[in-house]
Amino acid sequence: MSAQKSAQSDDPVELLADSLNVWVGKLSDIVHKVIDTEPIRNVINWARMYSLWPVNITTACCSAEFGAASGARHDLERFGVLAYGSLRQSDLIIIEGTITKKMAKRLRTIYDQMMLPRYVIAMGDCAISGGLFHDSYSIVNGAHEFLPVDVFVPGCPPRPEALEQGIIMLQEKIRKSKVYPEG
Amino acid sequence: MTTTDKPSQTTELQSMSPTEPGAQTMTLSVGPQHSGSGHMRLIVELDGDIIINAMPDPGYVHRGIEKIIELRNIIRSIPVIERPSIIDASNLNHAWVKAIEELQGVEPPARGQYLRCLLNEMNRIMSHLYWLSIYGVFLGHTTMFMWPLGDRELFIDLAERLTGARITYSYLVPGGVRRDLPQGFAEEAIKRTIYFEKRLDEYEKIFFENPLFTSRAKGIGTLSPERAIALGSTGPTLRGSGIDRDLRKDEPYAAYSELDFKVHTRPDGDSYSRAMVHMDEMRESSQLIRQILKRLPSGPVRRKAPIVVPRGEAYARVESARGECSFYMIGEGGDKPYRARYITGSYRNMAAIPEVLKGVRLADMPTSWWSIDYWPVEADR
Repeated sequence: MSAQKSAQSDDPVELLADSLNVWVGKLSDIVHKVIDTEPIRNVINWARMYSLWPVNITTACCSAEFGAASGARHDLERFGVLAYGSLRQSDLIIIEGTITKKMAKRLRTIYDQMMLPRYVIAMGDCAISGGLFHDSYSIVNGAHEFLPVDVFVPGCPPRPEALEQGIIMLQEKIRKSKVYPEG
Repeated sequence: MTTTDKPSQTTELQSMSPTEPGAQTMTLSVGPQHSGSGHMRLIVELDGDIIINAMPDPGYVHRGIEKIIELRNIIRSIPVIERPSIIDASNLNHAWVKAIEELQGVEPPARGQYLRCLLNEMNRIMSHLYWLSIYGVFLGHTTMFMWPLGDRELFIDLAERLTGARITYSYLVPGGVRRDLPQGFAEEAIKRTIYFEKRLDEYEKIFFENPLFTSRAKGIGTLSPERAIALGSTGPTLRGSGIDRDLRKDEPYAAYSELDFKVHTRPDGDSYSRAMVHMDEMRESSQLIRQILKRLPSGPVRRKAPIVVPRGEAYARVESARGECSFYMIGEGGDKPYRARYITGSYRNMAAIPEVLKGVRLADMPTSWWSIDYWPVEADR
């Protein structure tokens, strides 16, 4: 991008700024590499793993089992999962069931507004492939069609234990991941 | 969030003065990503912090169920019928099998009828408990979120033992029910209902007599009996306005004509009375479960019914946890209905939301509108 720009203009000030950007870019690469080394990365990933706050959005009937999972017997909060209202402080979307065409647009908007790193769990058969409603005229057959999904939790609806398993799998994935997500 | 200014000659300062109500209103969009809305949107028009108009924007969970049941046979449709309100699956399922049985002319055996009532009442309790726990979330009362969901697991365990599934049972089929009672079920159920009734007293002490709740619910969000009837409300919403209407009593189906129970009403029509109707109904249902298990007749639980919808039309309705749930079915003689119109309690109660929210402060909005027990998935179908 910067190479194209400098090729277009002969302005010395812009050329200087471009060369500076190159320097800063290299510096940030070095900083990123340092942070991504073993001890620091482990600490950051540890913090991310155990404070997964899902956005307060429900798409369909799997929300009943999400409610049961957050309730007294299963208590998702022991995994650090606490449904939260503000998008900027949340880092997880749990798609609870069928995604209608009307809701899919809102889900994408919510995902775009969230801060990096952000994760998606598709809960229930409907969020995986359309499930029971695969031949309906008003639904999207699977969350993967418009969102990058990290973990799929099958079931119709999945038991709370299955959702817990899905969250543990996501935590394992975060443990192995890099500090700076690509893209 | 957008502001709409009414065209006027006044300066900005004058229009903001409190002496001129209605000069400037604000339209607020609550949901669908909001802890106090669920899978729907409420478009709220505010004057200061008083709601002058509230319109529900449903359809976020419309899955075209009426079309899908035209494509599958009547047994394969049962899971689809249940999905609009899986916390109240048995009651919705009951309306479906009742319509089919009316067309087929099949009468289930007495034991089957009693077992249907048993699961219906267990579902009513589970559904009300889920409602109560979400009420706790709305008011920031974490104890009231945890307790009902914990006690709901008591009945979920029982239902799992009876049907094999936690919340989606597909237990009622045309001609009866799928399974008989497992061994030791009755003793366990009676023990749990007695414990549950004691817990309800504790709920009342910690939540329903708590100023946190009463000051936000008593006298707020009123729905007069006349308006409740005019808007077509059903279920706890209608009974909370003092109108004695319950299909289990007025138009008895299954085994309800042989059971003793009271229909609970509250006269005031505010959020508090609607909430208390739910509490009274849970007590009554818990008592009904014990009664059903004591009077359970012996014999088969299922009669053979063909997988066919005979030619003709039928209308069947039942009292679900959120009010009247009905099916209007047209059969052509095939294994699927030609057309089935499916109306649920939440759909009927949607019209009451603007009425209840009018004149309420924004901070009291969750208390008022959740007392209607509007379940968006059930309304959108």
